[in-house]
Amino acid sequence: MVSPAIALAFLPLLLTLIIRYRFYFVLFYRAVLVRSWKDCVTGLSREERAYQYVLTHAIPGDPDSILEAFDIWCSKVEFISNIGPKKGKILDRLLMEQSPLTVLELGAHCGYSTVRIARALPLGARLYSIEMDQRNAAIAEKIIRLAGFDDDTVELIVNPSDEVIPRLRSDYGLERLDFVFMDHWKKCYAPDLQMLEGSGLLGKGSMIVADNVLFPGAPKFLRHIRKSGLYEWKVHRATLEYSKGIRDGMAELVYLGIK
Amino acid sequence: MPRDSLITSENDIDIGLEFAGDEDEVSSFQEEHERERHRAKRRDGDREKKKRRKGRRRRASRAGEREDELQARHEKREAGRRKRAKNYQESEGRERDEEEQAQIKTGKTAKTKKNIKNEKTRKVEQEEGEAEERNAKGKKKHGSAKKEEKDEDGGKCAAKEKTQEVKKKKHKRVVETSSEQETSEEDVNEEEDSEEKELRPESLSPEELEKLKEAVDERKKLIQGLRGKPWSMKKKLVTLRESQEFVEKYEGALGKGKGRKLYAYKVMMAKKWMKFQRDFENFKTACIPWEMKIKEIESHFGSSVASYFIFLRWMYGINMILFGLTFGLVMVPEALMGRPYGSIPRKTVPRAEEASAMDFAVLWDFGGYAQYSVLFYGYYNNQRAIGWLKFRMPLSYFLVGVGTVAYSYMVVIRTMARNANESGVGDDNSFNFSWKTFTSWDYLIGNPETADNKFASITTSFKEAILEEQESRKDDNIHLTRFLRVLANFLVLCCLAGSGYLIYFVVRRSQKFALDGLDTHTWWERNEVNMVMSLLGMFCPMLFDVISALENYHPRVALQWQLGRIFALFLGNLYTFIIALMDEINLKREEEKIVKFNITTWEASLYNSTVSENSTGPPITIQPADVPRGPCWETMVGQEFVRLIISDTMTTYITLLIGDFLRAVLVRFLNYCWCWDLEAGFPSYSEFDVSGNVLGLIFNQGMIWMGAFYAPCLPALNVLRLHVSMYLQCWAVMCCNVPQERVFKASGSNNFYMAMLLVILFLSTLPAIYTIVTIPPSFDCGPFSGKKRMFDVIQETLESDFPAWFSKVFSSASNPGLVLPFILLMVLAIYYLQSTSKSYKEANVELKKKLQTQNEENKKKNKRAALKAQMDLEEARKAASQTAEQQKNNNASLQDQEADEEENHSSSQRLYHGKNRRNPPAPVREQGLPATRAPVPRNYHHGNHGAPGYLPGFPRQSEPRMHRVPSLQRH
Repeated sequence: MVSPAIALAFLPLLLTLIIRYRFYFVLFYRAVLVRSWKDCVTGLSREERAYQYVLTHAIPGDPDSILEAFDIWCSKVEFISNIGPKKGKILDRLLMEQSPLTVLELGAHCGYSTVRIARALPLGARLYSIEMDQRNAAIAEKIIRLAGFDDDTVELIVNPSDEVIPRLRSDYGLERLDFVFMDHWKKCYAPDLQMLEGSGLLGKGSMIVADNVLFPGAPKFLRHIRKSGLYEWKVHRATLEYSKGIRDGMAELVYLGIK
Repeated sequence: MPRDSLITSENDIDIGLEFAGDEDEVSSFQEEHERERHRAKRRDGDREKKKRRKGRRRRASRAGEREDELQARHEKREAGRRKRAKNYQESEGRERDEEEQAQIKTGKTAKTKKNIKNEKTRKVEQEEGEAEERNAKGKKKHGSAKKEEKDEDGGKCAAKEKTQEVKKKKHKRVVETSSEQETSEEDVNEEEDSEEKELRPESLSPEELEKLKEAVDERKKLIQGLRGKPWSMKKKLVTLRESQEFVEKYEGALGKGKGRKLYAYKVMMAKKWMKFQRDFENFKTACIPWEMKIKEIESHFGSSVASYFIFLRWMYGINMILFGLTFGLVMVPEALMGRPYGSIPRKTVPRAEEASAMDFAVLWDFGGYAQYSVLFYGYYNNQRAIGWLKFRMPLSYFLVGVGTVAYSYMVVIRTMARNANESGVGDDNSFNFSWKTFTSWDYLIGNPETADNKFASITTSFKEAILEEQESRKDDNIHLTRFLRVLANFLVLCCLAGSGYLIYFVVRRSQKFALDGLDTHTWWERNEVNMVMSLLGMFCPMLFDVISALENYHPRVALQWQLGRIFALFLGNLYTFIIALMDEINLKREEEKIVKFNITTWEASLYNSTVSENSTGPPITIQPADVPRGPCWETMVGQEFVRLIISDTMTTYITLLIGDFLRAVLVRFLNYCWCWDLEAGFPSYSEFDVSGNVLGLIFNQGMIWMGAFYAPCLPALNVLRLHVSMYLQCWAVMCCNVPQERVFKASGSNNFYMAMLLVILFLSTLPAIYTIVTIPPSFDCGPFSGKKRMFDVIQETLESDFPAWFSKVFSSASNPGLVLPFILLMVLAIYYLQSTSKSYKEANVELKKKLQTQNEENKKKNKRAALKAQMDLEEARKAASQTAEQQKNNNASLQDQEADEEENHSSSQRLYHGKNRRNPPAPVREQGLPATRAPVPRNYHHGNHGAPGYLPGFPRQSEPRMHRVPSLQRH
């Protein structure tokens, strides 16, 4: 029988852990506990709840207002891992600098980042957005239309990314991707990037931006870009969306081509 | 005289024409002829002068050569000769002086022409015997250069003839420009006399050899002084390599026959000796224990982590000496010469414990056989002298106890003093950004990852510093920061109080357990005190670390706060423990009284029974194990300390294995199948906790100091622990830790550690001294049993082992009437030293200020001087364009005279500058002056003078020079 005094001696350790990792506990609470509770109570999925909120609080046809509504919902009500306003600003800046004509987005989720990218695109540019999940894709579709982007600007492809990427050239007639944004499954970052390299869609100067490379993190992806030598890359350090204390990064890659 | 001047001017025209493209053999030959004549004349003049013997000889030989080749020279193309001459000049210039080279490169042709022209003028002057000395010097100088040429290519003497003449002038200037050349020249002059004495008749060409020697010496000097030259690194390297090659090549060639061999041998030996020295240095480095390990860690983790290991190594050294003292003077003599185990009760396990005395659990708690061994105080006998050596055991025991503490004090204080000397005197606050810019890199980092971290941390520190600067101007957030700092301290205090109470509670409980008897309780309950102390010592610092994030200090300051807090925590824990021990000692002493009484009754009863049973039988022998004995509080204290050390060590190692190793393994291998990046994200790898480890080490040492008197085995245990922990921690750091995110240099904190160590040393000797002085030793165990106090052993030794007068002297010396004045004197001395050091410090600060202001003033002055010089130059230039016409009207003879005057002036100035080490480039220009002033055709003059700043016959031109020379010299 361990005496109570020894148990008490572990109190500082407990306190330390709680204080040090408080952001993770908060995140766990918001992203898992609250979500499953609401799922049970409302019978709707998290994305559907978000859509309802946006529908009631945003001005249709105004992408900024839609994004703002999303941000409020995600920071105040529940948690969805969108790109978020802070990292979104970096993304906006990169898009402005690059002004790409063909953009590929992997992982539309519920359309937040799609709207964000589409809003920053120059005239005549086209965004291909890939989403694997049927229900999420339906909501993303609605959100995109709500923001006022038509089929010519944004094309939503409902399929897993590893199926779509090899067929991009044949089915969608793409020659070159100017900009790729990755925000789907973190495990798929590295294989999808290799697939993109293999497909020959990346030209010299194509930019690839990958979100959440530090948390939840894509170590294989980072290792690949570090070792392949095909890219000029850097990681924009930031915090996780809608959270202050968790460090995260967004990788920015510029394809240099095979030397 | 007029003829000479006529001829020179004629020659000048010739040369000018030649360089312009006209090649006239006849004229050049004429020129040669003229020169020859001049030379012969001068030689005649020289012959009278004894001092110049050497130069004369050289000249004579040269003249001989010239005569031989006079015929051949006619056939040679004049142009080719010129070219060669130029080449020589160029190559030589490269070797000799950068400035010279630059000059040649910029205005190659112009320079050559000028030089030749100067040559002419000079010759004219030499006729008058004006600049005799200078010229000879130039010759000598030039001679050494000539020899180089000879080495490189043997022939081409004809061309050399010309070049030599040209070069003479140039050498002169080289000498004046760089002070080193000047000194070397002086050396040459000195050597001259000795060379004359040791003229070797057997040598074929002693002149050449001497020249070679000179050249070699010169090169050596060049190599030595290369570091201080204001050249680019590339040039330095090239020069170094060339010079070294030259020295290598020709050093062996010096000397002939026997001398040569000897010389070669000497050189070889010197090289061997140097190599040996280098190897010896390497060997010495290799002999420093763990040096390479620590260096490797340093390169990976920066100097703060390495400083911990260096501290650990230092500690190990001290413990080795403590161990040597106790082991060699206490444990080994007792084991070898003292009475063997089982001979007397204090050296025997009691009958009641005999059954379990060899159990591992008992031994692990340092009971049983471990308790009744040399490891603890109680085992030692109070016999005055043991063995055939008559070793004074009790005295030795006492003196070793005192000696270890005294030695520790000495070492710690000495190290502190040395560190204080080493530590820089810069204040971090006044030039924050400069400090950050120039001193933030840790040059010992050799690992790219650490370098990245360091880079990032420097960047962030800059960002933070800028933000701080802005905030300090804004000045509105300071209240929040202050509040947070106060809050953090409050929380830490709460934490300290909580831990103190917990330990107090545990100690009280353990006393209750002790009264109940330990066997009725579980292992957990028996080891509660140690466990709780170790756990609190481990976890509270982590909590402090988290709390200190509130305060937003610079990491170095934060580290010091952290250290201070942990220090307070450990100190509180330790003192709680000691207070508990004191209570226990008192309990034991109560028990002792009862036992003492019981023993007398027991002895009496034993005696009575034996007497009553058998009055005539042999005296009864009782087994020592059966004799009842006192509790022996000293051994108990020693045991407690040993247990504490053991549990502390175990906790440290287990923490290391679980907290670092297991975590690293989990992070590393679970990362393949985990949903987030474990390495970069949440658990990550651990960082090396410098402050916690250092404090652990310090407190561990404190416990050693406290307990070593009652358990002589403690230093040995500690050495073992430190040895293991050196290897274990080195391995753990390299294998499971990542470099700190904010790598910072540890240079500042070294003395902080030392100061803490000193405090701990003081605090740990306090209770030890208290127990020694106030508590009487146990009556039946230990070396001091039977005495009233432990230090009585000194008095006893004084009385019985020393002559009577000595003890008399000692007793009179320990008389308060003598001791008090002595203490007073010491206090006065300390006060005096303190005040002097303070005044020195102030003087230092003053001097620094003065230096700074002087620096600024110098800067200003230089700026002003440069400005003025520039203005003067402008003015002169303007004047030059205005008076271009006037010059043409000046007659040649007047100019000549003036030029002579100038020569005198400049030469005298040159002499003056020669003494000066730092020779400014100004004289170079001056030297160039006579050249421009020489009687030359105007057309030529105009075409080549790039910056006609100094013009002949212009009265103003002396002014800028007057200004420039002093201003530059002040540099």
